[in-house]
Amino acid sequence: MGSQQMLGIENVLFTVAMLLYFASMIAYFAFIAAKKDGIAKAAFLIQIAGFVLHTAALVCRGIGAGRLPLTNQYEFATSFAWGLCLVCLVFVWRYHFQVLGAFSAPVIFLIIGYAAMQSKEVKELMPALRSNWLGFHVSTAIIAYGAFGVSFVLSIIFLLRDRMQDQSFMGRHVPGKEKLDMISYRSVALGLLFLTFTILTGAIWAERAWGSYWSWDPKETWSFVTWIVYAVYLHLRLRKGWKGKSAAIFAVIGFICVMFTYVGVNNLLPGMHSYG
Amino acid sequence: MSPIKKIWKFISSMQFAIILLVLLAAVCSVASFVTQGQTYAWYAQTYSERTAAVIVALHLDDAFHSWWFIAITAFLCMNLLLCNILKFPQNLRRMKNAGDAEKHIGGDGNVQAEDIRDPEKLFEKLHFGKITRGSEDRYLFAAKNHAGYWGAWVCHLGILLVILGFGLGQMTKQTYTAYGVPGQSRAIGETGYIMTIDRFEIGHRADDTVEQYTSELTVREAATGNSEHAEISVNNPATMFGLRFYQNSTGWAAKVHVDKDGEPLQEEIVCAGDYLRVKDKEDLVIYLNAFYPDFVLEEGVGPRTASSEIKNPAYLYSVYYMDSMLGMNALLESEELTIDEYTVTFSEPQNFTLIQIKKDHFTWLALVGGLVTMLGLILAFYMQPAQMWAVKQENGLWKVCGTCRKGGAIFREQFLEAAGGKE
Repeated sequence: MGSQQMLGIENVLFTVAMLLYFASMIAYFAFIAAKKDGIAKAAFLIQIAGFVLHTAALVCRGIGAGRLPLTNQYEFATSFAWGLCLVCLVFVWRYHFQVLGAFSAPVIFLIIGYAAMQSKEVKELMPALRSNWLGFHVSTAIIAYGAFGVSFVLSIIFLLRDRMQDQSFMGRHVPGKEKLDMISYRSVALGLLFLTFTILTGAIWAERAWGSYWSWDPKETWSFVTWIVYAVYLHLRLRKGWKGKSAAIFAVIGFICVMFTYVGVNNLLPGMHSYG
Repeated sequence: MSPIKKIWKFISSMQFAIILLVLLAAVCSVASFVTQGQTYAWYAQTYSERTAAVIVALHLDDAFHSWWFIAITAFLCMNLLLCNILKFPQNLRRMKNAGDAEKHIGGDGNVQAEDIRDPEKLFEKLHFGKITRGSEDRYLFAAKNHAGYWGAWVCHLGILLVILGFGLGQMTKQTYTAYGVPGQSRAIGETGYIMTIDRFEIGHRADDTVEQYTSELTVREAATGNSEHAEISVNNPATMFGLRFYQNSTGWAAKVHVDKDGEPLQEEIVCAGDYLRVKDKEDLVIYLNAFYPDFVLEEGVGPRTASSEIKNPAYLYSVYYMDSMLGMNALLESEELTIDEYTVTFSEPQNFTLIQIKKDHFTWLALVGGLVTMLGLILAFYMQPAQMWAVKQENGLWKVCGTCRKGGAIFREQFLEAAGGKE
């Protein structure tokens, strides 16, 4: 099968995956409105189906392009949505927390929607991007961003938790604040570990490609700022009186930094990562 | 408490660390919006006179080397160092206590379950391996993940090493750039080495996009005559005589011919962005601004190239005499430039290679620091110290207790699930 055919299949799979994510989001809304557990299960299954097709789309893209699909705005955005969905599914499974899917679905749909608006053209790689480090650097960034996305969703749920009465429908489906805080901490921990790995692999790659492992390029600077914000989050959790709400607010600020590092820096602050 | 002690306590506190981190994040984000390393005139033209004055006064034009940025970083290092010094004995004590059954068995821990028939099964379910037994099986005790106590400590150490490696590198590293076309040699700064470009090739794909830039270099030590040879390309640097060579960039070069009264006087290859000084009139300088392989001049747009193929080559030049510009124009290959008795022509356009050369003795330290930071994060996040103990009740069944320093809520849930929901 030729590369153009693979890219054609990828296009179809991507569109169907996006529609499934949308359907999952609607189903989750219906679950909250109708207050029926069965709908949540259906929404979760639709999200899994979307994720499977999304994975297949990325594989087809990789085969069609003849390289890892991680090099331009479209590829990173679709991979980001995939990473967020992956981390979300893992956390739903690990912590038996299905409502997380309900809050994550709109974020996943927004990011994949952003991907759909980008150019899908497959371009040959410029020499600086022809490196094995590309795979390590960008794939770890996807997991980091996905984990931070989940911590953002969890922090929003945390901040809304006071409005949910324990005996209400949502109150019964959302864990207590202590557990929410703990799951959010774990997703930040996963994100920070992978962000550190992203920065480290990026530095090693930059040293080989540009002769300098750190140049204060806007992307580097904003990754550093994001790292610091999450480091502050972790320290705040250790201080009496700051754990909980304040830490949750910092997790939200952290994700705003993540989004700025990704979208804002690419569009507002040109630098050596301008192809990103 | 004396004022000095108070200051000391504050400098080593987490509160100070948080203030410094927030400050660092704030200044980095502001600095990222200011193009670094430009002149006052550039800022004034790009923004306004007032903004330019603020940028320069606050050193935002070179923020990451400014005194205040270095001061924040130095305070952060001091804070991390003091924190680690103070935490060292505390961590040792914690580790010792964590494995001491006697310190736990009297207490209730974070979570308990009573009337457990087979406590060892519960220990196993929660991945507590080595169980210590009290005399006459009075109690059972197990602890895990002691290394987790050192997570933050190791992470801080890693960050200190990164900052140290980066700082020392900034202070001691030597960087040079050298460019030229095959056959040319260049002295590498004051190092005593001479670099010769043996070959430069731009690999194109079928669609004419660039696949790779490759240079073949020979480096000779002037004092001994010893030489080393290597091929470099983008992402594939090479080390010769302890210097690291990177394929950085490329551009156009051309042969500049100068005739005097119709007789050849001088012939030199000049790269775009470089100049030629006329041999017998040193104050006369021909500067090659740019080369256009497929020259097009459009009104309102200015000179540009229609393609990367050499179809209609043109050379944009400037002429200077005694540091004053006499003029600037574009010259086609067939055209001549006449300045008094001198005639200047350009020919044989070709690509030059730009090589970056670096010597940084401390890159390895920053790398080690990065790896240590990673290790610290893994220990801090995924090695959560926990203890479990079981004490025999009067009815012959067991009361099992557990404690986990971090992740209390989840540990509690896992514990209760393993204990069958008993509490």
